[in-house]
Amino acid sequence: MAGLKTIIALSFVLAIGFLLVILSSALYSNYYPLLVVATYILAPLPNAICARCSNPDDFIDGAGNGVLDFGRFLTGFFVVMGIALPAVLWHSQIIVMPAMVMSIIGGLLIYGTIISFLMFFQEDTNF
Amino acid sequence: MSGLWRFPFPKLPSSAALRTAGIYTSGALFSLGFFLPLDASIYSKHRSGGNVHVTIVDWLPLVCSMLGMLVINSIERSRLLADNFSYSGGGVAWKAKLVLFMGFALMAGGLAGAATVLIMKYVVPGYPWPTLGFGIAGVVGSACIMLSSVVLWVSQNIEEDYSYNLSL
Repeated sequence: MAGLKTIIALSFVLAIGFLLVILSSALYSNYYPLLVVATYILAPLPNAICARCSNPDDFIDGAGNGVLDFGRFLTGFFVVMGIALPAVLWHSQIIVMPAMVMSIIGGLLIYGTIISFLMFFQEDTNF
Repeated sequence: MSGLWRFPFPKLPSSAALRTAGIYTSGALFSLGFFLPLDASIYSKHRSGGNVHVTIVDWLPLVCSMLGMLVINSIERSRLLADNFSYSGGGVAWKAKLVLFMGFALMAGGLAGAATVLIMKYVVPGYPWPTLGFGIAGVVGSACIMLSSVVLWVSQNIEEDYSYNLSL
């Protein structure tokens, strides 16, 4: 279902996202917005790790589900952190308003790319 | 739960997607509750010209709330309702309820402490807005963590309904 066009489109979106984030740092020679990239790259990791550690089909003992929930919780934390970090930096006048907007949009593009890549190209190991 | 109250609890909608969304929302609320006081702290360090700053006193209620949330959500939930099953030994439900009570007390204490800091440190001396905001950020942060805990609790109870329906 996902072919070459999807890969090309996703890589374009990823490149635009990185462009926006790097621009938001380099234009004002203030490299704090680069933290957003680290946040959004970290965001899908807990889900990936916790999905390995647990067996969601196991309803007998709830322990595996707890690990899975913790991963989702951390993902939610990181996604909001990616938006909140530039907002906090802007509110304290460490970065300026356009840098905040650009880094938030760029970060969301990067995260959206990662998520849709995982969705499109996930191997169905369940069945 | 059943057999004690005259009115039945409303059945939570049982769907795995709703539960997942609830857990993500809970993480987002926790993040909000962490970053609001962090914002106040950085603002007070970098921008505010006043001589009142965010100190460790403002952070203590938040730490209490987070510890309470950790305690509440670490409890195995099925032990709360299992009164005296043979496998769980004597008084496991009682112990679980005691730990749960301590968790709730920590969380409520965090919120109350944040309100106390707001009143004693910022409202009573009558500071103007940007300084007053530090205290309000603490209260809102603690409330967000409490709300996050509630959402997490409710969505994990959705899970129990779901698995129950499946196992039948």
